[in-house]
Amino acid sequence: MAFINASRRPDRQSDYRYIPRSRPIVIDNGGSTFRIGWAGESEPRITFRNVVLRPRHKITGETVTIVGDHDPALLKYFDCTRSSHRSAFDSNVVYQFEIMEYILDYGFERMGVQGSQVDHPILITECACNPIQSRSKMAELLFENYGVPSVAFGIDAAFSYKYNQQLGICDKDGLAICSGFTTSHAIPFVSGEPVLEACCRTNIGGYHVTDYLKQLLSLKYPNHMSNLSWEKVEGLKMEHGYVAQDYASEVQLFQTGTKEAKEKTRCWQLPWTPPPTEVPISEEEIARKAAIKEKQGQRLREMAAAKKSSRISDMENELQGLEFLLNELKTVKENDIQTFLSQTGYVSKQEIESAVVRVTQSLRRAKGEPVEVEEKTESSASEKYSLINIPDNMLSPDQQKEKKRQLLIKTTTEGRQRAKQKRFEEELEKERKNQEDEEKRLENPELYLEELHTKHRDLSEKVEQRKRLKTNGSRTNGNQNLSSSVGRGERLNAAQKERMRLLTTAAYDRGKGEDTFGIKEEDWQLYKLMSKDNDDDDEGPDDDEAELVRITSRLQDIDPAFIPKVDSSSYQTVTHIRPLSKEDFQITIGVERFRCPEILFQPNMVGVDQAGLDEMAGISIQRLPLKGNGVEDRITSSILLTGGSCIYPGMAERLEAGIRKMRPFESPIRVVRASDPVLDAWRGAASYAASDQFLLQTFSRQDYYEKGEDWLRRYRLRYTI
Amino acid sequence: MEAEVIEAEMVLPQHLSFKRVQMSEKYPKGQARARWKLLKQIIQAENYQNYPPNEPNYVNIESPPSMYPSKKFCDITGFEAPYVDPKTKIRYANADVFKHVRALPNDYVQRYLALRNAAVVLK
Repeated sequence: MAFINASRRPDRQSDYRYIPRSRPIVIDNGGSTFRIGWAGESEPRITFRNVVLRPRHKITGETVTIVGDHDPALLKYFDCTRSSHRSAFDSNVVYQFEIMEYILDYGFERMGVQGSQVDHPILITECACNPIQSRSKMAELLFENYGVPSVAFGIDAAFSYKYNQQLGICDKDGLAICSGFTTSHAIPFVSGEPVLEACCRTNIGGYHVTDYLKQLLSLKYPNHMSNLSWEKVEGLKMEHGYVAQDYASEVQLFQTGTKEAKEKTRCWQLPWTPPPTEVPISEEEIARKAAIKEKQGQRLREMAAAKKSSRISDMENELQGLEFLLNELKTVKENDIQTFLSQTGYVSKQEIESAVVRVTQSLRRAKGEPVEVEEKTESSASEKYSLINIPDNMLSPDQQKEKKRQLLIKTTTEGRQRAKQKRFEEELEKERKNQEDEEKRLENPELYLEELHTKHRDLSEKVEQRKRLKTNGSRTNGNQNLSSSVGRGERLNAAQKERMRLLTTAAYDRGKGEDTFGIKEEDWQLYKLMSKDNDDDDEGPDDDEAELVRITSRLQDIDPAFIPKVDSSSYQTVTHIRPLSKEDFQITIGVERFRCPEILFQPNMVGVDQAGLDEMAGISIQRLPLKGNGVEDRITSSILLTGGSCIYPGMAERLEAGIRKMRPFESPIRVVRASDPVLDAWRGAASYAASDQFLLQTFSRQDYYEKGEDWLRRYRLRYTI
Repeated sequence: MEAEVIEAEMVLPQHLSFKRVQMSEKYPKGQARARWKLLKQIIQAENYQNYPPNEPNYVNIESPPSMYPSKKFCDITGFEAPYVDPKTKIRYANADVFKHVRALPNDYVQRYLALRNAAVVLK
């Protein structure tokens, strides 16, 4: 992978003491990575991500500093909840010098610096037209804290251009388009020196591209947000991002769903384990299980039978006892009935008789014989309701109460019978209707199907419309403050409109300047009307929906070609009923592949109101103070693409097309990519520092203190030495 | 400190020989750390208006707004968007996308608008 070497700490360099004191240390202090090494070498010794993490150790509680990437497994010893990756940069300017100090500490420590100070001249990169405060604080840090003898500041894009000029890729007059982490610059070069007056900077860089991609994917796949970490998204961007030649036509491809679009769509399968499938049980297993079940069933049945027989025998005994009692009663004399009865616990002969009846009934039921309940109720009915027909004045108060009770019982039983009858009739009716339906279907299947289809369509439309109204109404309700005092223009909900209408008509009816609402009792019925309106809304659609469901199921049964139109109310239709499949764990990147890098050329897409890369080239050529002599043509024939955020495939062609739009007809345009867009800045700086004239371009501590801030402001490196 | 952490050399050592003032002395524990000026404040403090305007400084090398009229693209799909939803102000490409737009919860709407820097920010 290009430049993120996560979780590999760079080793401590061991050859510090062998290197002479005159050899400068070269630092490329970039927005995304920090590179440090020796001048004259071709690779930086140490490279790491330019961030700092300051977690607290869980046990000791001390706050430690971790610079750059680290092994995420080791973080378990630290509490990282209150700390996050912090960068010393705000846009491309260093502003947090405490973090800068941590980073420099780490860089020097990894370089193996020994001794009481860093005793080498330092060349460090900065942004174009770095504010004087940042520059002076950096110089102060280096001089005061590290004891550096001399320092030089340079622009990373310029070093990259000079390096490529040495390699022959570009000429001494040209344009460097450097797309970095947070910003992109277009710097013209005339006679080998950058013309900072014509420099142009747009605040869009690789960070914005990654952030855009991350946001888009999170919004599209909210379930997988935990998988979409910054590092992962950056990896996706580097692997799949490309720049379209013409955004509008490329997007057309995807919109019309052509084959090319499908080929260009990439799919990322997240780790997913399918649910364990049931192992097909062998025959013997099935037989064994069936046998066990059979045995259990048998046992249960035996137990039930035993219980039943014991109950029957109990009841028979009871019945016998009761009959015996009755017989005894017959033989006993009249006077002794009470005493005799009190012994047995029954109050009257009738009670004994009714107990006998009960027991015989349950006996019969237990034995499985049909029970004649009906005539019993009949006879008891006439007995029970005996008091009803007798008029009131002939009865005592107790009897009147009795009569009322009997009346109540009678009406309830009659009502129950009526309901049963109705249900029976309804069932018959439904049966009949189904029969008719079946006949209709059998005799003319196509017509029937047609009718069913139209019915389904109408119903689904109605349901959808009502749903739309409801959600729209509730949305407006939710957007305002869910109170009745809604603004005048927003009463879009039908129920709200109705309510308002009722209220205003009520208020209007009175007139005459005085509000007499409420004096009459009928006025308050108004509120009943309003709440009824509100309730109606919720109950109505239910029958329609039930009907719809029934018709849908019917259609699914009959018509093999019918596919119910799924109402996809969410962007990603995941119903909770069906189990999650492989597709749910895939993240497809189609349009986003070229939509995200497009923001480099059209910053308006993310709301940054500045020119894109191709326009920047034109603007910077326009800003050149000395034009003429064909310098513009020379510049456009040597355009260098450098910086970490310019490695997208297709960028050079796009840039060329964009610049051609702005230049006169047939002017020479040649866009080249730097030999190594990522490392060239450091390499250029290293080769620059290796030359003998380098030390003349640095300034020492004395210079810094004697000449003051104004001098530092005007300090500019000369790049051709 | 655990053995494997020390072995991994993950943590910055407290004392470095080449430093004149160690970090622990410079930023003592318990004291509030220095508040650094943000870029906006730095630029303001630079007083670029006192210097001649043709001298390049951080502010005047910035790009001007784009010359081309911006093309409107759908917020959700990225296709060309001829329409804007009047209620949520989201740009959409066709009727299907519109259905999705209307079905979005409010915070998603704000996030889509924030991608374009068009969200309503309540201070």
